[in-house]
Amino acid sequence: MKVINDNKKIIFVIPAYNEEKHIAHVIEDIHKNMPEADIVITNDYSKDRTKDIVEGLGVPCMNVPFNMGYAMAVQTGIKYAYMNGYDYVIQFDADGQHLASEAKKLVEKMKETGANIVIGSRFLEKTDYQHPFFRKLGTKMFQIIIKIFCRKVITDPTSGFQLLDRSVIERYAKMGKYPEFPDANLIIEMLLAGYNIEEVAVKMKLNDEGKSMHGGIIKPIKYMINVTYTIIFILLRGRTSK
Amino acid sequence: MRKIYFIIVAILAIVYVVTQVRKSKFSIKESIYWFIASIIILVLAIFPTILDNLAGFIGIGYPPSLFFVLCILFLLFINFRSSRKIAEQQEKIIELAQRLAILDQRTKDIKRK
Repeated sequence: MKVINDNKKIIFVIPAYNEEKHIAHVIEDIHKNMPEADIVITNDYSKDRTKDIVEGLGVPCMNVPFNMGYAMAVQTGIKYAYMNGYDYVIQFDADGQHLASEAKKLVEKMKETGANIVIGSRFLEKTDYQHPFFRKLGTKMFQIIIKIFCRKVITDPTSGFQLLDRSVIERYAKMGKYPEFPDANLIIEMLLAGYNIEEVAVKMKLNDEGKSMHGGIIKPIKYMINVTYTIIFILLRGRTSK
Repeated sequence: MRKIYFIIVAILAIVYVVTQVRKSKFSIKESIYWFIASIIILVLAIFPTILDNLAGFIGIGYPPSLFFVLCILFLLFINFRSSRKIAEQQEKIIELAQRLAILDQRTKDIKRK
């Protein structure tokens, strides 16, 4: 069983798009609650002052030359972590939804179970986190699909709050086709490839605007179709090697 | 007499493709499909009986509809191919942009040390 040593390097990978309101607070939260961890921000071509704020705080800020979307921005951060030899990546949102104090729970869980991926779940325990209707429906559907094909209960497959170990960092960094929506489809792919995924209950904060990137009606539908379509291909491909 | 119009159209198409390639506005590799298509149109314009015979052979009563079907198939093929190429290129562009951002950051990291 793999154990997280204190001398192993952890990095928070945070994609940020127009987050001038929240980013300073998020960075401060990490500095306060997990001072041992590094941070790298992928500034996804923000039109506001995100870049200035992050650089002003002395935090590494990768400025991509055009808006590439959440998933590709996350992968940029993971590639950076891979190239710089980090042992663990914590995927974290820039909108203040995730709490650095909760990240410790993910680390503890990995120490305990030796999992390759630990997902911070909003639904493992009853919390006051309220989900938009479509999101709830999607979550339920993907839960069932994962259970059928992988015999594993993942209560929060859409959670972007995840801890990845080095083997997963390497795989994601080298993945030529990192999915546009890295949710249930990626979980299924990793489970089928033999990676161990665990969940731990975390608290999350609803962001002030109360809208996530899956707001509206068209977007969630597009999202559901996209993820389902991707899952079909992953299942067709079957088990891959680790 | 109507034949002459089609021959002119086909020749114009060939000339257009060739000049675009010569001006390096269109790659040789990509232009070959359009060039071949223009040649086929020219041949069919000069010898329309080819189309009639082919249609008769396949069992299509109205020969021009065979021509339309072939055109649509050709366009679908070209369109699918472009769509695939765009996806490939998008992937490459993102890969490049990611690398650029990472290397940029690493340069900054080294400078700071």
